[in-house]
Amino acid sequence: MSEACPHSFDEQLLSGHLDHELTQAEEQQVRIHLEDCEVCREQFGQLELMRKASMSTPFATPDDEQWNEQPRTQTSRLFRGTGWILVLAWFTVSLGVAGWTFATEPGHPLIKLLVVSGLAGMGLLFVSVLLDRLRSAKTDRYRRVQK
Amino acid sequence: MAVRQVPPPTDEAEVVSLAQAGDREACEALAVRFRRPAYLLALQLLGNPDDALDVAQDSLMRFFITLGRFDGQRPVLPWLLTIVRNRARDIQRRQKVRRTESLDAVVESPRLTDYRRNPERETYGRELQRKIWQGLSRLDRARREILVLRDFQDLSYAEIAEILDIPVGTVMSRLHRARRGLRSVLEEELGGFHV
Repeated sequence: MSEACPHSFDEQLLSGHLDHELTQAEEQQVRIHLEDCEVCREQFGQLELMRKASMSTPFATPDDEQWNEQPRTQTSRLFRGTGWILVLAWFTVSLGVAGWTFATEPGHPLIKLLVVSGLAGMGLLFVSVLLDRLRSAKTDRYRRVQK
Repeated sequence: MAVRQVPPPTDEAEVVSLAQAGDREACEALAVRFRRPAYLLALQLLGNPDDALDVAQDSLMRFFITLGRFDGQRPVLPWLLTIVRNRARDIQRRQKVRRTESLDAVVESPRLTDYRRNPERETYGRELQRKIWQGLSRLDRARREILVLRDFQDLSYAEIAEILDIPVGTVMSRLHRARRGLRSVLEEELGGFHV
């Protein structure tokens, strides 16, 4: 944890000095203080380094084609969200009904076991592929490159 | 087809004036000139490229809708960034924006020439940029906003005061608190850094 200035210097002036937003008298006050105070000198060095690193971060920006896409409106977001909820509800209910029917209908236990293990295997394979795709999609910086 | 005889305007106030009069080319010129800073502010505030593009597009649209009320003698950027900041706040209130923790997902590819100059320094600089990006997501919204406006957007205290609607005198104290907050996060949670 960084120490506080032992001389009770008004530390916010360090930010003003860094940003060249002080009056001439305040600039002079900070310069004189920095010559004597190692704690503030270190803090100023850290603030300066943080600012330089922030300013030089090379953010990527969208290309012209992306700018020309229509923004998603509130209405389209609402419709999309509602659509997903309905689809998920339909899928869950259908799956439940199918599972219940399969479990209660008479049938040979070995056949039931084969069906259940086959479906479970396929389900696990699907989930594993889905997880890998989701993970790579988050970090793939070339996902918008046209093929 | 009619050929435009008037030379393309270069002065911002002149372009604004033409846009207010309904000149499509002037509107296009304004959009192209200011969409990048609008996107970058939205990205830095929200941390998510998709949401940032939505906010930037929406903000530009609102900017043009309200252009008739805009005083053309004032600079465009603070006005537009105020709209972006307000739109970003709205979207954060309404939905949980998922901030991208990885800086690699939002930066340009590194240039090889940078590494040739001073590889160790470049690598350290990039590592610090990553930590700062992660650190930003751990700050509260008010601190993140003022840090982004000054240290990423390089706006003056007067411009920051206008965007955040606070007195200029408050900017320095609030900014310093935010910087100290980020420094603490870097030191305590992200392995520290050295000068």
